[in-house]
Amino acid sequence: MDPECSRLLPALCAVLVDPRQPVADDTCLEKLLDWFKTVTEGESSLVLLQGHPCLVELLSHVLKVQDLSPGVLSFSLRLAGTFAAQENCFQYLQGDSSLFVASAASQLLVHVLALSMRGGAEGHPCLRGDDWPACAQKITDHVEESLCCTATPKVTQALNVLTTTFGRCQSPWTEALWVRLSPRVACLLERDPIPAAHSLVDLLLCVARSPVFSSSDGGLWETLAQALSCLGPTHVGPLALGILKLEHCPQALRTQAFQVLLQPLACVLKATVQAPGPPGLLDRTADDATTVDTLLASKSSCAGLLCRTLAHLEELQPLPQRPPWPQASLLGAAVTVLQLCDGSAAPASSVGSHLCGTLAGCVRVQRAALDFLGTLSEGTGPQELVTQALAVLLECLESPGSSPTVLKKAFQATLQWLLSSPKTPGCSDLGPLIPQFLRELFPVLQKRLCHPCWEVRDSALEFLTQLSRHWGGQADFRCALLASEVPELARQLLQDPESYVRASAVTATGQLSSRGLHAPTSPEYAEARQSLFLELLHILSVDSEGFPRRAVMQVFTEWLRDGHADAAQDTEQFVATVLQAASRDLDWEVRAQGLELALVFLGQTLGPPRTHCPYAVALPEVAPARPLTEALRAFCHVGLFDFAFCALFDCDRPVAQKSCDLLLFLRDKIASYSSLREAGGGPNTASVEAALPRCRTGEHAQPPGDQEPEAVLAMLRSLDLEGLRSTLAESSDHVEKSPQSLLQDMLATGGFLQGDEADCY
Amino acid sequence: MPEIRVTPLGAGQDVGRSCILVSIAGKNVMLDCGMHMGFNDDRRFPDFSYITQNGRLTDFLDCVIISHFHLDHCGALPYFSEMVGYDGPIYMTHPTQAICPILLEDYRKIAVDKKGEANFFTSQMIKDCMKKVVAVHLHQTVQVDDELEIKAYYAGHVLGAAMFQIKVGSESVVYTGDYNMTPDRHLGAAWIDKCRPNLLITESTYATTIRDSKRCRERDFLKKVHETVERGGKVLIPVFALGRAQELCILLETFWERMNLKVPIYFSTGLTEKANHYYKLFIPWTNQKIRKTFVQRNMFEFKHIKAFDRAFADNPGPMVVFATPGMLHAGQSLQIFRKWAGNEKNMVIMPGYCVQGTVGHKILSGQRKLEMEGRQVVSPDPVLGWQGRGAPPGGNRCPHPVASAAGGQDAGGVHVIQRTRGRQGHHAAGGPGRAGERAAGAWRGQEDGVPEAEDRAGAPGQLLHAGQWRDGDAAHEPQHPRRHLTGTAEAGNGAGAAPRGQEASAPARHPDHEGQRECRDSLWRGETKDGNFRLVSSEQALKELGLAEHQLRFTCRVHLHDTRKEQEMALRVYSHLKSVLKDHCVQHLPDGSVTVESILIQAAAPSEDPGTKVLLVSWTYQDEELGSFLTSLLKKGLPQAPS
Repeated sequence: MDPECSRLLPALCAVLVDPRQPVADDTCLEKLLDWFKTVTEGESSLVLLQGHPCLVELLSHVLKVQDLSPGVLSFSLRLAGTFAAQENCFQYLQGDSSLFVASAASQLLVHVLALSMRGGAEGHPCLRGDDWPACAQKITDHVEESLCCTATPKVTQALNVLTTTFGRCQSPWTEALWVRLSPRVACLLERDPIPAAHSLVDLLLCVARSPVFSSSDGGLWETLAQALSCLGPTHVGPLALGILKLEHCPQALRTQAFQVLLQPLACVLKATVQAPGPPGLLDRTADDATTVDTLLASKSSCAGLLCRTLAHLEELQPLPQRPPWPQASLLGAAVTVLQLCDGSAAPASSVGSHLCGTLAGCVRVQRAALDFLGTLSEGTGPQELVTQALAVLLECLESPGSSPTVLKKAFQATLQWLLSSPKTPGCSDLGPLIPQFLRELFPVLQKRLCHPCWEVRDSALEFLTQLSRHWGGQADFRCALLASEVPELARQLLQDPESYVRASAVTATGQLSSRGLHAPTSPEYAEARQSLFLELLHILSVDSEGFPRRAVMQVFTEWLRDGHADAAQDTEQFVATVLQAASRDLDWEVRAQGLELALVFLGQTLGPPRTHCPYAVALPEVAPARPLTEALRAFCHVGLFDFAFCALFDCDRPVAQKSCDLLLFLRDKIASYSSLREAGGGPNTASVEAALPRCRTGEHAQPPGDQEPEAVLAMLRSLDLEGLRSTLAESSDHVEKSPQSLLQDMLATGGFLQGDEADCY
Repeated sequence: MPEIRVTPLGAGQDVGRSCILVSIAGKNVMLDCGMHMGFNDDRRFPDFSYITQNGRLTDFLDCVIISHFHLDHCGALPYFSEMVGYDGPIYMTHPTQAICPILLEDYRKIAVDKKGEANFFTSQMIKDCMKKVVAVHLHQTVQVDDELEIKAYYAGHVLGAAMFQIKVGSESVVYTGDYNMTPDRHLGAAWIDKCRPNLLITESTYATTIRDSKRCRERDFLKKVHETVERGGKVLIPVFALGRAQELCILLETFWERMNLKVPIYFSTGLTEKANHYYKLFIPWTNQKIRKTFVQRNMFEFKHIKAFDRAFADNPGPMVVFATPGMLHAGQSLQIFRKWAGNEKNMVIMPGYCVQGTVGHKILSGQRKLEMEGRQVVSPDPVLGWQGRGAPPGGNRCPHPVASAAGGQDAGGVHVIQRTRGRQGHHAAGGPGRAGERAAGAWRGQEDGVPEAEDRAGAPGQLLHAGQWRDGDAAHEPQHPRRHLTGTAEAGNGAGAAPRGQEASAPARHPDHEGQRECRDSLWRGETKDGNFRLVSSEQALKELGLAEHQLRFTCRVHLHDTRKEQEMALRVYSHLKSVLKDHCVQHLPDGSVTVESILIQAAAPSEDPGTKVLLVSWTYQDEELGSFLTSLLKKGLPQAPS
């Protein structure tokens, strides 16, 4: 601990234990605790306590004071816990009327239990529990007693203490603890209703995950199986998912868990399939009365159960330990659920008709089913499955009743299916299925680009951008796209009243243009093709919102990087025009992006940055594209230095940081030209240095392009760029965030609040 | 019996990250989703682990409701929806929907700007989050699903702020968010139907603070600004982009116009235009005066307030600058502060709350030495001539008018305001709920054996059963503050779940018919034995009920250099006022205090300085004119010899 903090600490402890002194707020206490944690990581708690008796006084004092604020009390308990994690002999508390205090006390209990077991039973097997230290014995008795209690809050608290214990401690004694307490836990499952089911599931999964139980289960698997069969649908899903995620677990339990998880979808399929459906899902899953009851009880219980099930399966899908995956049945189920929502499903039973009525237009279930359908695209499947999925997605995209959030999900799922669709072997194109689908998709996309909700127009543009990014080179895709009005509509959206949509339109048209797709290739569109750069430049100069301007800068940077025709034709002119607009922008992210573009230009002119990794293969220095003096003159000409030097003193530090990096890169590059290393110091230096303060105040040093390369070199040398870089690397409020500043603030606030109270007469 | 459970996932005893989970009859609603400016780690957001630990929260949560666009109420929304993964509907009013993304974007930019944070929500996430928003109109009953409905009410406070009633079957909860009881220059006062919620969750940050009169604060504000620019100094007012800043702008604009001042006033570039745009777009949300005069003159088109360019900060001569962010922790305001702090002619005014860990916080807590970046030490004493304690007109959170007296017939007495030692947070209060005309009564306090509500972010919440709601059209300028509050607080011991997610439950109670009366401004309708209604005056009604009317009192402190004892001082005040206010009844009471009509003046001696005396002046809402006049009179000092 630094001396200044040591000096302030006694005064602060005095403030904390004095109930008349209002403590700043809980944020400060929380931060104080953070700081103590850091301190105890660096030095022994014992040494800390010996060096600061005020801390011991604080901890013993809080137990005696009557009207102490709960905030300070819980802080002190947590502080005690922090010390207890290292040192012995702390008193503990539990059962305070305040739950916050009680939970801090529970954590402390766990610390104390773990500590006493470690200290008292070192080297002993300690499995019976009767030779445990008195302290541990007392805690265990207390927990056992609470588990038998009829009051749910006490049971919950006991379960939470156990969950924390098994989560934190993985010593052999925890097994003995479980052996002793598991009958009590199992008893909870026999009560009706099962108390604290949520905490119970947490505990069971936590115990199952503990490595201590990998060899012998201590009746754990039986308890889990029992829980699977008697918990209600709300809690059984998370338990089943948790079991399926376990790395080691008996196969029978796994199967049972998966059946439980699939139950709701099996019910749905059974209620709707005309013929006996595909094998897999219905085989072993018997009709479960509780599941059917939940599905039929009310709209919200039905929707809730289906959403939860779909979400659990979605989570399970990518896991390596997932059970054998009935892809076809699950796909069938997802499609059926979507059909139930849009009213196109055919019920096969009274349950089915009921579900039709309940789920019709249920946006929540639609979204969950679309998410799940998207996830299913990752599994391999036969061609007809893909057709089936794409058909239902197209239906969803076309349906006039689809809500904006549903449409967004439908676009996402469609993209997932398209990009993962099986390609014809040996053929670079998209296979037989996709071109037909695209021909049907683009008219729908056209309609969605004209949707009255901005959310839909935006999602449609994002979809278009993604699709052309991946498939811009595919002939089938290009053909279908150019035959539609989609490019033209995307371009019209550059004038959309909603700034988000304008930004997405910029990105989309920029992407299309990179691929030569922003306008049909026929001669009558020649003008349209040429004017896109000017149109985007106009947006950069005049749009009142930052998003479209930022999007334009990203497009321009990409164009420069990829050698887009508009950028490559006259690169210097292109860079000069863009930098001029970007450097004046009020949005610092546009300015930062401007510097990014400048960096790309530098790299293209002088060669890429040198790798600093010592293990990297040293490539021969790429010869720069042109002589240095000429390159420097070009940089001056495009106004790069004006921009960079002013940006160095920008009040927004990412801009200053970026400029600093850029100039360091440049200096590094120049240094490799030995002939120029010693140059400079000529008559221009003084004038340039005089111009620097003006840069600091945000004025342009000189009209762009007027600087001489020698002057720029002199300027580069005169700047302490490394120093600036390290200053900029610190957060702008690092001084105010220091522990010393925190202690000062807490003391000052105490005094301040006292004065304030006099106001309330 | 259906149960209402309240689990604060943030706020509670702390300013920031307002986020309350309410469960009514199996429906789960999240009220606000704010961020905390004081932390840089996960704690900057509410603790969602409580609802995410088992399964996905979209399946658990039925909807999210955002009360208004301030970041402590909506700042965690993109994190919650795009990073934690909530996919359900988010409800807010139309103006909030329009302004919220701007502030979120501003916040993101500042966070990244300050530290170059990478692990933060992106622009794309803000947009994706906004796509999940469903905008609602005031008084529109929105059916979230078959069982859950919500309804928004006008809350004042900031443009688009709303209070929400959440209803499941016959159970209901009212959540106020931040709200204003009195209209200000640009917004009206909060208004709600007479509903009888089972539970009221109300903002109470300033519930225990008796604030100076608004007029005093405004006059003080203008005086300080004027004095500073007159002597050639610069004034920095750190503000948040949109919200209370507009109130200050109108105030300054009007003052500049009246005084014919030429000193430039600047506002962070881009934001004035934006604010202007949104206030124009949502003109029905502003107050009556602005709506009326809008056709002739748009109050938000300022003549004197110009866009700020960072180069202006170095211009010589006086100026006033509104700059973001409001807590002086990054960006433009901090840069200007560093630049100007060294000159004792300059001044900074902190209109809003500042969290620990910011320069703003240090200034507000009165620290005299600030260590700035680069080890520069600034003594802000002369610079910060006007500190935030008497925050300028209308602080950034809900200023509760404070009742000094209250009547009620509950056996345990009535807590209109319960002191919470200047602590902060939302307070849950439950109560009997019955519809319509029976909305009246008072909050019963903790002596009824009401257990404490719990919060997860801080210490246990102390119940606060405060609040005064105006009954009438929001557009009316209130002549008399009318208020009704109903309810018996009840938020019970909940089960302690995980350490960072605790809950309180409030079993819904059936209405306690006894002691439910209503007190209206001029009429009182009460049920007589034969079930008929009677019309009586409010005075009569109060008398029959044995109630005392709530009184609003404003307070102000006047510092005078005087070495005499308090009693002697009071006597001099008495003589002075007696001579000046010939038409008023001036009295010197036995306890040493002086009264003029409802105005009460007491002399006190602050312990630290024997040479200074403080006059504590308090007056009722009705005597605002006289009170203000008296305060200004006393500020001029007392005549040398008693007249």
